Amino acid sequence: MKGPICKVYLSQDCTFFTRKEILRLFDRYRDLAPQLVPLDYTGKPAVTLPYELIGSMPELKDNPFRQRIAEVFSENGDGNMTLDDFLDMFSVLSEMAPRDLKAYYAFKIYDFNNDDYICKSDLEKTVNKLTRNELTPEEVNLVCDKVIYEADVDNDGKLSLEDFQHMIIRAPDFLSPYRSSPFSDTVSG
Amino acid sequence: MGQRGGWGQISALSWQQEGVGLEGAGISLAKIVFHLSRKVTSIVPESCLLILLGLGLGGIVLAVAKKAEYQLEPNMFFLFLLPPIVLDSGYFMPSRLFFDNIGAILTYAVVGTLWNSFTTGAALWGLHQAGLMDPGIEAGLMDFLLFGSLISAVDPVAVLAVFEEVHVNETLFIIVFGESLLNDAVTVVLYKVFNSFVELGPARIHATDYVKGVASFFLVSLGGTAVGLLFAFLLALITRFTKRVRIIEPLFVFLLAYVAYLAAEMVSLSSILAVTFCGICCKKYVEANISQKSRTTVKYTMKTLASSSETIIFMFLGISAVDTSKWAWDTALVLGTLFFILLFRAVGVVLQTCVLNRFRLIPLDRIDQVVMSYGGLRGAVAFALVILLDRAKVKAKDYFVATTIVVVFFTVIVQGLTIKPLVTWLKVKRSDHHKPTLNEELHEHAFDHILAAVEDIVGHHGYHYWRDKWEQFDKKYLSQLLMRKSAYRLRDEIWDVYYKLNIRDAISFVDQGGHVLSAAKLALPSMPSRTSMSESSVTNLLRESGSGACLDLQVIDTVRSRRDKEDAAMHHVLRGSLYKPRRRYKASYSRHFISPDKQERQDKEIFRQNMKRRLETFKSTKHNVCSSKSKARLKEKGRKKKNISLTSDTPNGKTHRNVPWQEAAPVLVMVSSEEEESDSSETEREDDEGIVFIARATDEVLQGKTTPGSLDVCPSPCIIPPSPTLAEKELPWKGDQADLAVYVSSETTKIVPVDMQKAWNQSISSLESIASPPGIESGSQHRRFACPVLEEQPQSANQAMSEQSSCFQFPSHISKSGRSQSDSSPDGAEQQELQPLMATEEQGRMVPTTEPRWLMFNRASHL
Repeated sequence: MKGPICKVYLSQDCTFFTRKEILRLFDRYRDLAPQLVPLDYTGKPAVTLPYELIGSMPELKDNPFRQRIAEVFSENGDGNMTLDDFLDMFSVLSEMAPRDLKAYYAFKIYDFNNDDYICKSDLEKTVNKLTRNELTPEEVNLVCDKVIYEADVDNDGKLSLEDFQHMIIRAPDFLSPYRSSPFSDTVSG
Repeated sequence: MGQRGGWGQISALSWQQEGVGLEGAGISLAKIVFHLSRKVTSIVPESCLLILLGLGLGGIVLAVAKKAEYQLEPNMFFLFLLPPIVLDSGYFMPSRLFFDNIGAILTYAVVGTLWNSFTTGAALWGLHQAGLMDPGIEAGLMDFLLFGSLISAVDPVAVLAVFEEVHVNETLFIIVFGESLLNDAVTVVLYKVFNSFVELGPARIHATDYVKGVASFFLVSLGGTAVGLLFAFLLALITRFTKRVRIIEPLFVFLLAYVAYLAAEMVSLSSILAVTFCGICCKKYVEANISQKSRTTVKYTMKTLASSSETIIFMFLGISAVDTSKWAWDTALVLGTLFFILLFRAVGVVLQTCVLNRFRLIPLDRIDQVVMSYGGLRGAVAFALVILLDRAKVKAKDYFVATTIVVVFFTVIVQGLTIKPLVTWLKVKRSDHHKPTLNEELHEHAFDHILAAVEDIVGHHGYHYWRDKWEQFDKKYLSQLLMRKSAYRLRDEIWDVYYKLNIRDAISFVDQGGHVLSAAKLALPSMPSRTSMSESSVTNLLRESGSGACLDLQVIDTVRSRRDKEDAAMHHVLRGSLYKPRRRYKASYSRHFISPDKQERQDKEIFRQNMKRRLETFKSTKHNVCSSKSKARLKEKGRKKKNISLTSDTPNGKTHRNVPWQEAAPVLVMVSSEEEESDSSETEREDDEGIVFIARATDEVLQGKTTPGSLDVCPSPCIIPPSPTLAEKELPWKGDQADLAVYVSSETTKIVPVDMQKAWNQSISSLESIASPPGIESGSQHRRFACPVLEEQPQSANQAMSEQSSCFQFPSHISKSGRSQSDSSPDGAEQQELQPLMATEEQGRMVPTTEPRWLMFNRASHL
């Protein structure tokens, strides 16, 4: 029954994934909305999960970035997700995925207004989300100025993807807060 | 070499008779000397120095006594010297880091050790077959495999001793260190299996024996772990019920851990594994159950024992090496062994890392691998094992002993000496403590959230899934079972204590007038004024030195350049208000230093959050209308009041009272006293809420009430030695005081905190009313208080002195001893360890009495 899914997706350019992972992701995806997602995925039906379903997950209740993540990973930017998006999302977690890819997605998540730069308004949003709006506007302003000043190599007042990657290189532990343990895949449920 | 001279004398006097006692003392002295000369220990690891010292000593003994007297007895080593070290490493193991890397550690420990021992043994046998060795060495394949098994295990003692001084990054350290601890099971099994094979003789070994060997590995390792877990459970359970017998808590910790070791040893399971896991697993529950003092005792005793064991081991290694009667030298064997262990360790590490790196996000790079293979030090375990061999069965024992000694010396001395330069030269990522840049801080947080969200959405539960499951289970069942109720709510209590601290700090911020506002808003111009303030005001200094929980904002004062200042301020703001996701903590292990653990860091985090909130509320309430100068004085008044209560038992105490602040700022007094009152009552309220059910805290409150009472009625001799227990409070002579309404209320309000609050407010106001009028009356009589700010310190010293002289009136001698202690020791001693206690310390300072402190020490002496 599930064989076709693997064939479809393994034949694609999803080299980061193993068959098992794809199956598991599909199960997960389907569990979110059993009534929407068909079991037979051979024809690649155009199924999308609405954001409301994802955003209402109890695990995500406290997460300040949930909407933004869904938006970035969904194809049309409205937060609704297809299985492809789901796989994309997983690729960021995957240990096989190169650092650049992760940095790219991180950058995209930060870039709230989709102008390919992290500008001050983006940073302000990030800071506010992170601090749950506890800082005063002046403080946020100061922090953002500082951050840009620190990382802005080309002095254009905003952070490009290059600036961002440069900064990440300087911090070697970056992007690895979760998957630093070996064998984590072997114990994954 | 002063220590060597000293040693010579000791050995000349009574070397023959002296046991371990004197040696231990001497060795410890030597250790002090080593540590005095920073320059030496920065280049040469302590273990090398100790081995060399041991060699020298052994030489002296040999020269004097003509025969080697002492050597490292395997029994002594395994029964007495090794357990403390292993327990220490298990107990203080950064468990999060350890379990994060458990996969790598297990691989290196099991596969690596197996690989090392088989290849080394086989290669040596090949060397022997090729005729390169002395034909006098009668050894077959099994003998060499046996030798390989004992020589290939990385030694925890040696690794710790060297790596501790190298300071490589945490991951690297935990992998090598964890490996050295966990490979014990493999070593023990291999050693025993090969030993029995050698005894049987190669001809009579059947296939089933090999199977048994493999099975016994699982039995030994899992059995050892199980024993450890069992005793950890027992230990946690026992400490749950030691509330009334605090004194024996540390004893239980050591005893049960040791029993775990012995039990595992007795049924020939892996004893090292048993103690390690006992230590790792019991820590959480034990720490929560036992009292703060026991905790400190356990910490220090463990460190002391481990440190001295380690010292003795290395020393004895040196001494035993001199004993030439057990030596039989064969150059080919020695050189071959050295070459092979280095080679195969390196090969093994590279091969395993290749495999492991497929699973790791942060791969172990080439440099890490070099350090790991070079850090495979051999030590006393190998030596003790080789001594244990039976000469009748293993005919080449003498050769093996000599080779082992050389290998141990080579690895500890040569590799130990060179690993530090190597690490520097290779630019191995050290454990760094640099402050993260703002970007890192911000983005790391953001990323934690993002990754967590993604994980949640795609339902990918990795390692964290199981950890979460475990934590749930732990919370639901284990903690309920193993922690006492009060300890189970420990977090809440800590929160309360910090809350109190917050308020205290907030008050002192109010002391500084508008600076609360400016600091919170980060208006940088206020910084200079703050520094100048702190220079001028003694209270500020007092607070700075006295407060254990120093605010970051105060630290900023020491930063010089403006940019740095801004940065730091920014960091503070961000740090203070960042909403933390699930996060990992950096952890480290050191034998000689006790680092603040995760708990404390978390509390600090909470504290920061909390502080921030408090500052906000203070900002909004506009509590600080007066000028900063008057505020500073207010605080000072708090100090003065302490002095007042100190002096109140001297005959003319009343005239001394209140003079300084009265004279300096007569107009401001009324305002500030009101504020003081409200502040302190507020503080006390928190106090009541937080720790109403804890013995010490209630005592404190109680005492706080008796003091004003005693001031009220009989000013001079009637500060009764505080009553620490209920029973004592019932004593008839105590009853004399009970006619005071305030005091009576304290009896009842022990149960009802709200009443207590009122009572406290009452008592405060009564104190105020007593305190102020005489001050106004006799205000200008005492000119020596003319400059209160500067004379603050000498005064209190003076008064403490006079009080000392007049304290004969006190009914019991306990109070005297308690008092003299309270003046000198508590601050320094307690600050080191007891952060939560700091609250009460400071409390004693803020609230206008010192009695709580006497009380605590009286209790101590009662114990």
